[in-house]
Amino acid sequence: MADENISQKKDDNKKKFKRPNKNYAVKKRLPIRPVDGDNVVFITKKTNFKAQLDRCCDLLTKGEKEIILHGLGAAIQRCCNLALQLESLFSGTCQIEVNTGTVDLVDDLEPLADDLDFGTQVRHSSSIHIRVFRTAMLGANQ
Amino acid sequence: MESSESNTVVSDMERLPYSANSLKFAASRSVEIAAMTESILRPSKTKLIFQSLPVHMRRRVMSHNAKRLPNKLRTGHLEQLKKSGLPPKQKRPSRKYRRRPGNLLEEYNRRQKKNFWLETHIWHAKRFHMIEKWGHRIAYAPCDKAFRACYRASSAHCLLQDISYHTAVQIIGPEITIKDIFALITSNYCGLGICAKAYIDGKREGSIHLYEKNMYPFGYIGKISFLWEKNEREKSLWLFVHPSQTKQVESLLTDMLDNISHTPVEKKRKLTNNYSENIKVKFLPGTFNRFRLTGPKSHIVLAHSIKCIDDIEKIKENKWIQNLNRSTLYLKEKCDYWQKIKGATSPSHLPSKIVIGLVVRDPRLCRPNRRTKALNENIQLDIEPFLNIPPTLSASPLWDSYTHDNIKKEKLSNTQFIEHITKTQLVPGAVNIEDPALQSIPIVLIQRPGSQDSSKKIGYGSGWDIIIPPGYGLQFWQTLIMFGARSGGLRESENLAFEMGDCYLPPDSNSGKEEEIRIETELREKYFRLPPSKRVNYIKMGIVTPFICPWKILLRDWSNSSTDNFFVLRDRRLLQRLQDCIINKIELPEIENAVACLVQVSLKMVKKGKLNKNAIICLPEKNDLLELPQEQQCEDPNEKIRKQKRTEHMKKLKQLRRKRNKLKKAGTQVNKSPKKISSKSEPSEYVKAMRELWLPSDIKSCRHSCSRQILGFLPQAAYSFSESRSCGVGFVAYNALNTLLKKNFNKVLVRNVSSRKYRLANLFLKIDQ
Repeated sequence: MADENISQKKDDNKKKFKRPNKNYAVKKRLPIRPVDGDNVVFITKKTNFKAQLDRCCDLLTKGEKEIILHGLGAAIQRCCNLALQLESLFSGTCQIEVNTGTVDLVDDLEPLADDLDFGTQVRHSSSIHIRVFRTAMLGANQ
Repeated sequence: MESSESNTVVSDMERLPYSANSLKFAASRSVEIAAMTESILRPSKTKLIFQSLPVHMRRRVMSHNAKRLPNKLRTGHLEQLKKSGLPPKQKRPSRKYRRRPGNLLEEYNRRQKKNFWLETHIWHAKRFHMIEKWGHRIAYAPCDKAFRACYRASSAHCLLQDISYHTAVQIIGPEITIKDIFALITSNYCGLGICAKAYIDGKREGSIHLYEKNMYPFGYIGKISFLWEKNEREKSLWLFVHPSQTKQVESLLTDMLDNISHTPVEKKRKLTNNYSENIKVKFLPGTFNRFRLTGPKSHIVLAHSIKCIDDIEKIKENKWIQNLNRSTLYLKEKCDYWQKIKGATSPSHLPSKIVIGLVVRDPRLCRPNRRTKALNENIQLDIEPFLNIPPTLSASPLWDSYTHDNIKKEKLSNTQFIEHITKTQLVPGAVNIEDPALQSIPIVLIQRPGSQDSSKKIGYGSGWDIIIPPGYGLQFWQTLIMFGARSGGLRESENLAFEMGDCYLPPDSNSGKEEEIRIETELREKYFRLPPSKRVNYIKMGIVTPFICPWKILLRDWSNSSTDNFFVLRDRRLLQRLQDCIINKIELPEIENAVACLVQVSLKMVKKGKLNKNAIICLPEKNDLLELPQEQQCEDPNEKIRKQKRTEHMKKLKQLRRKRNKLKKAGTQVNKSPKKISSKSEPSEYVKAMRELWLPSDIKSCRHSCSRQILGFLPQAAYSFSESRSCGVGFVAYNALNTLLKKNFNKVLVRNVSSRKYRLANLFLKIDQ
């Protein structure tokens, strides 16, 4: 009985992810990360923009051939901004390559009543992956 | 010549008798014999024992080194020394002697009698500041400066803590009875019940707030995590109780069981008698090892350190497995699931609070040669195992007490392990992981989800708890350390709670009250050790209680009625409503017991300012948000009295000194020593009176102690690394919060106890779920 109700309500409120049902609290899990490494930067909205830009500049000037920027959801715009700034800063020596994708996000549905079990829901969020790579060697433009 | 004559004379006059009467003979000499035996049994008391030795056996050092005496005289000699007032000084045995394994073990056993030691104690004692708390010897903080490093480990790497001091409690009995019992000591307003569908099948660990029987909302005991365990015979509930609350929980549960069996209505007697027979409560302190891993890398560290067993055939020689029903182990399914989730980059990807029971290889087999960071293998992850949990995942043979006894018995000690390895390995350095000689070990993993709101970094504080059978604590610990986990202590637990916006020991529980008092005495003593010129004059600052938060006085001030008890609001629905009220600046709803209600809030500074412990939360006035106010210096009426008292006291001391000098000149001895001893144990009347003048202890009210009204206090406040600004966790009186919202504010003023500057802070509610 209860299960049927839940599934129905889930379907009804598919667009409103925030609260699919009064009986559940939505708890977010960490999104699954793509391949990590030294030259991978995850762009967030909380970190200072200048700090992120400096970090990317440092990576590029210190001899990294390419860096990969990942942005998810609302951070996509910031990620694009950052990549464009990088391109203009390293004018002529850097190029960018953009890929977009979709990431599956998992939410926990925590029951607020005793007769319900835990549940999960999958959301999708758009993501952007920008590869910034050097075309000219280090120090070539100096 | 004369003598020979006299002899003959004697022989002439009196003849010697032919026979001698022995009795008569002895009787006539009885006085002499008695004197002789007396002197043998009790040698003359004026002499010391070593003086009774013949001269050639005496040595000069004998008087202070008993070992120069013959063995049989030693005890008597020592007693004589004691009587004469000189305590026999015994030299500390040499280090070499103390370090002999047998002696060392004896010493350790002696020291463990007072405080309980964890299995990793010796490892910790070499690297940590150890403190005595809650009947245990607990690692407090690492000896190296590692405060920030431990935070970094918890947020970006892996922090490892030994929390085996939590007491495991097993409750066996039918579900309904347990539900009935817990209905009396918990409240369904605070969250899910103990028999909620989400927890009853044992797939997840839950937590619950415990109260004294029928006392809700008063009489809070603490938050307790629990776990249902299902095996083929019966269902049992496992509680993990914080050691500060163990005694309270123990008395509560035993009380409940007694009452259930003795005071039922007569009709119900049959049923209730069954209850009391069916329900068994076992307290098992020190049985399980529980390690807590925090941080995103904890999953990788764990994945490297445990090697799962997927086939029963490989471990069938293990003794503990032979008595078990093999079909209930589900080794294959569990191992498959673990392989699927192994590649996750953080434990917060996994379903929250899931319980995984695994059977793993001996951890000594899978250690790196030197300490290395466990690195993630880049694998494309499938989302499916994160959504659905296999139903058999949580079953584990670990919970059976027979199993752990067997495991402990069959354990290879480190020496045996090394001997075995050196004997069997063909290539030096290579270890055969599938060595059948080493038994496998059942363990239980419990995930902790950490922060799941967007208010905090998602996944902060997430990690794993591992429960390990007794005997294998240190082995697992060392393996985890070798894979790059950083060890932390109790300070890190407190700090983690603070970073998460929680209170480690809430003030309405007994444990919290005890902790508050302990901190107060500590700070007070520190304060009075300072010279008067270096002490902050808290009266001038307008602070009544700088070292403790006076909750009862605060509540009395805000309600105009005296309350001898108070509680912290934990009703989830109500808290949700309060949060809406605070955001929209609406008046709070009417609630029961509002006069005795505190609300837990977390504060975040708006701009500048560093918060310290025990800071005060104040009600802003009209223009305060535009220009931050400063506290005027208050009058200190005691200042003059203190000065007067001091001069008087100095005078008195001078007089006394003069008297002493006079007596000395006169030649009489003044015995000083007993006075000094008494003064050290307790401060003199003068010191007490002066302290009272510095910090008056009879406080009537605290609400109007300074220019802004006090709403509440912040028992926990510091710089928060995760928020990158000063934060605090505090409590506000319910009526005070209402007043704040009525004035249409949702920001508050905060002030440190040693500062006169007010700062602005945002107010949030922490909804505990």
